[in-house]
Amino acid sequence: MKNKNNFLHKLILQTIGHEKRQHYMIPVFTILLSLLFGILVIALLGKNPLQAYYNLLQGSGLAPKASYAGHKGMITDFTSFLNALTPMLFAALAVLIALKAGLFNIGVSGQMLAAGFTATILIGYSDLPAVIARPLVVLTGFAIGALAGALVGYLKHRFNINEVVSTIMFNYIFQNVISFLINTFYVDPVSRQSRNVGQAGRLTLVDVVVGDYKMDIPLGILVAVIGIAVTAFVMNKTTLGFEIKAVGNSIRAAQYAGIQVGRTRVLAMMLSGGFAGLAGVTYYLGYFASIQPKVLVSTGYDAIAVALLGNSSPIGIIFSSFLITVISKGSTYMSSTSGVQAEIASAITGIILLFSACGAYVKYKVNRWKDDR
Amino acid sequence: MNTIIIDGLSFALPLFIMAIGGIYCERSGITNLAIEGLQGFGAFCGALFAVCIAQYFAGNSPVPFYLAMVFAFLGGMLFSLLHAMLCIKFKANQVISGVVINILAMALTEFLTKQINASIFGAASNKFVLGVSARITVPVLSKIPVLGAVFTNLYPFEIAIALIAVIAWYILYKTRFGLHLRACGDNPHAVDAAGIEVSRVRLIAVMASGALSGLGGICFAYSISANFSSNIYSGYGYLAIAALIFGNWKIMPTLGACLLFGFARSGGYELVKVLEMPSSYQDLVMVLPYVLTLLMLIFFSKKNHSPRALGEIYDKGAR
Repeated sequence: MKNKNNFLHKLILQTIGHEKRQHYMIPVFTILLSLLFGILVIALLGKNPLQAYYNLLQGSGLAPKASYAGHKGMITDFTSFLNALTPMLFAALAVLIALKAGLFNIGVSGQMLAAGFTATILIGYSDLPAVIARPLVVLTGFAIGALAGALVGYLKHRFNINEVVSTIMFNYIFQNVISFLINTFYVDPVSRQSRNVGQAGRLTLVDVVVGDYKMDIPLGILVAVIGIAVTAFVMNKTTLGFEIKAVGNSIRAAQYAGIQVGRTRVLAMMLSGGFAGLAGVTYYLGYFASIQPKVLVSTGYDAIAVALLGNSSPIGIIFSSFLITVISKGSTYMSSTSGVQAEIASAITGIILLFSACGAYVKYKVNRWKDDR
Repeated sequence: MNTIIIDGLSFALPLFIMAIGGIYCERSGITNLAIEGLQGFGAFCGALFAVCIAQYFAGNSPVPFYLAMVFAFLGGMLFSLLHAMLCIKFKANQVISGVVINILAMALTEFLTKQINASIFGAASNKFVLGVSARITVPVLSKIPVLGAVFTNLYPFEIAIALIAVIAWYILYKTRFGLHLRACGDNPHAVDAAGIEVSRVRLIAVMASGALSGLGGICFAYSISANFSSNIYSGYGYLAIAALIFGNWKIMPTLGACLLFGFARSGGYELVKVLEMPSSYQDLVMVLPYVLTLLMLIFFSKKNHSPRALGEIYDKGAR
């Protein structure tokens, strides 16, 4: 027993013991652990876990399926996967920026809805040509989201209103008011959702014929990549980024260093809301073309966990969003092929997040072992 | 007027009991965003038990409901151990632990509900049907003008909640343990120096929060939705958090906040009915409690102080 323990210790120390590699090795370690756990659960249900995992990849266009419908192929599955990934990337960015400033933006879902709705009625229903409409949609989304975010930041700064409470309140307010507006003015009587936006304003090109395939091409993914690069640059190389991180680490120290805490917080919330707005337009005018009244998407809440799983770094969230979206997007195909309930996918996601929340503890334990030797 | 009071109370009280749980947890220094998940999981346990034993009782028997309350209480407590383990033992970030528990609870209960319905009851359904709990009217008290409505058409759980709330208030403010608990949230080092184990107090506080949240959840399942399904996750837990922060982490002001939510909600519905507006206006009226809260927070937030050590991981070695 002692020997076996020593072997495990050694293995763990060699893989995740190295200080410099820890910041990405520990998340990888926790993810592997939870995938193993998922295997156990699926096996207990009497299904083949490896088959189920492979189905997840197939459903996301990362592995070939056995057969495809006409004009469909691996590449079309993959672009549709990217289409689902885009809002998640933006939402995770939104959470991340707020986190850096020590604020919790629980209102990403509400800000998404507000931005998506405004862009839908202002531009989505207009007759503007695509060249003008698409940039306008992106700008409107960012602007509305930023406004909503800045308001939360201002309430925090000026009136000391806890941002957790105000964002929850705004979530409900946006959800109900927009549901009312949709049901009263913009409802499609058949689908009971808002009327579909025109093709010109939609950020995803639908059914584009490329070679033999008909695919959905998400334009938003480009904006998302740019957004991540800009965020990484702002956070690491600019004064604003430094100020945001300083405020997030210690308000007193930031004040002492002459940083205007209130202004920085409002700015951080504004940026955060802006990205949430972009998540909204890529979701409601990209991945979908309409808004379901009375429903707040779970993306905003999932994004909190995704941002954490990505180690609160702009590059990290690319990987974590990727992983979480593979699981959620592939789950439909998995349940239809191997008969595992689709809900198990979100349970696995939950477990991944659960284990990753223990990352700090793993790090602490591993470093303790290292010191003991 | 009477319906406003009756419906308002039946919404406000379950909310209040969840908020009390939240107060216990947060006053001990553990941030609790997990109320939403805890109430859902608790309700799931209660509902599952009620559905399993339903065949042994007559259709209108209240016994399954009482047992469901007990099991929801226990189920919420069990699930909150996860939050306690993450926050106290594994020193995880408490806000993140809360969010993760919400996601996990939602996924797990949805999955289990489907799986259990399919494999045990042989039905492809994503909910457990519960029905609405019977209501009672207190004989003499209900005759009092205006205030009598408080005692009319009560759900039995409202009485249970009122009792538990009084006990919870007494424990938190009048007992030695309550003092320790509150001290843990403000100055855990002092508590430790006095020879009391901080992590033990916090563990109990988190478990109390889970139990009370579960209780609140099953009450919603038996009144508003009449079944257990993913509908239970419509944000009541978050609303309870808002109420307790609004109430400045104190039990009595939190009751006020919950009543405000409850009455604004039922008042809004009543208004739509009286003015004979189309039902889509309900959505607009539903905004009232939230706008009111924001407005009142603008005036009252200056004095709002969270427990000083809230959300901080307790580290014995730190100074």
